Amino acid sequence: MKLYLYGIIDSSDQTKESIYGLEGSDVYNIPFCDIGAVVSQISQPIQDVTEGAVLKHEAVVEKLMANFTVLPARFGTIIDGTDSQLSMIQSYYKDFTNNLARLHNKLEFGIKVIWPADKIKENIVKGLKKGKENTPELNSSRGRKFMTETFDKYKIDKAFEAKADRVIKVMDMFFSKFSAEKTLATLKTENLLLDAVYLVEKDKQDDFREAFEHIKGGHPELKYLFSGPWPAYNFVILSKQPGLLMDSQQTDLLDKVTQDQMLVGANSI
Amino acid sequence: MIANAIVETESPEEFIEEIQKAQDCLPKKIDANPNTVEKGLAKLVLTLIELIRKLLEKQAMRRVEAGSLSDEEIENVGETLMKLENKMDELKGIFGLKDEELNLNLGPLGDLM
Repeated sequence: MKLYLYGIIDSSDQTKESIYGLEGSDVYNIPFCDIGAVVSQISQPIQDVTEGAVLKHEAVVEKLMANFTVLPARFGTIIDGTDSQLSMIQSYYKDFTNNLARLHNKLEFGIKVIWPADKIKENIVKGLKKGKENTPELNSSRGRKFMTETFDKYKIDKAFEAKADRVIKVMDMFFSKFSAEKTLATLKTENLLLDAVYLVEKDKQDDFREAFEHIKGGHPELKYLFSGPWPAYNFVILSKQPGLLMDSQQTDLLDKVTQDQMLVGANSI
Repeated sequence: MIANAIVETESPEEFIEEIQKAQDCLPKKIDANPNTVEKGLAKLVLTLIELIRKLLEKQAMRRVEAGSLSDEEIENVGETLMKLENKMDELKGIFGLKDEELNLNLGPLGDLM
């Protein structure tokens, strides 16, 4: 029987209350020294990522979070039975304990910000037209015409990126005050100004939330998405590749579940 | 049993659309099955050429900005970049590739372009 892995916890004890996972199976802990791998039996590999299955995985991890520090496994991680699970946990023991210590009492929050890219570019173009006299004269022939057009585009893009950096810097200054670690992705699309994940200590989550409300109030022209608290999906760092798992159905142990994947599930609650 | 984490936004559709857009341009793996191997390889090669073309273009723009190119050099570079862009458009057309498809996800390093 294959095992579905929900995460690694900082305890070798069984969970106090009954938890039911995918396929309605009992969730239990496979202990190894002072840590454990939380799993449930599963009859077949997950073929499709369904909202229900993602939510079930997340709900189990959140239940565990209430009592333990959890290194959440990527959705769909399946192990070839208890022996494989034990050799995996043995092989990664040091990584797991380091991560568990680092992520103890910390939660993950996601922040996404959309800005009106078209309007911003329009304003940049207007501003550049005013200052046109400062640009190099590149007229007439085909090559020069191409250079002029490309240079204009280059200046617009440069100003656009600089503006994005300035706005993000201000926001990040507020959020960073209350976070231990972060990952920021800027301008994934022209409109998606910021896609950030912050690792926040449990006792600072209210302050973090307050900082978000402050930013939101200060920039009402932007659109915001706030999510969390999540298990620290984006902050688990493994020092070696998960080669041990190559012969199981899924090879991405503790790889990052994207916030986007989580958004799909959580948005429709 | 449902998840307790909250997702708060006043514009869910817009966020879904933007996330979808960001994901669409990044194939999870290179499609190299027997029927599409030619297109898969062309995509990989053209992505690398496009990266180099963009780097060249950016470097040229920086030099124009700094005023370090002579009139003749501007003319030559402009002509070269234009021909390179036209050739790329032609090759993209042959293999049925769109601009947004010419990118690669380098995992922890982020996107190539």
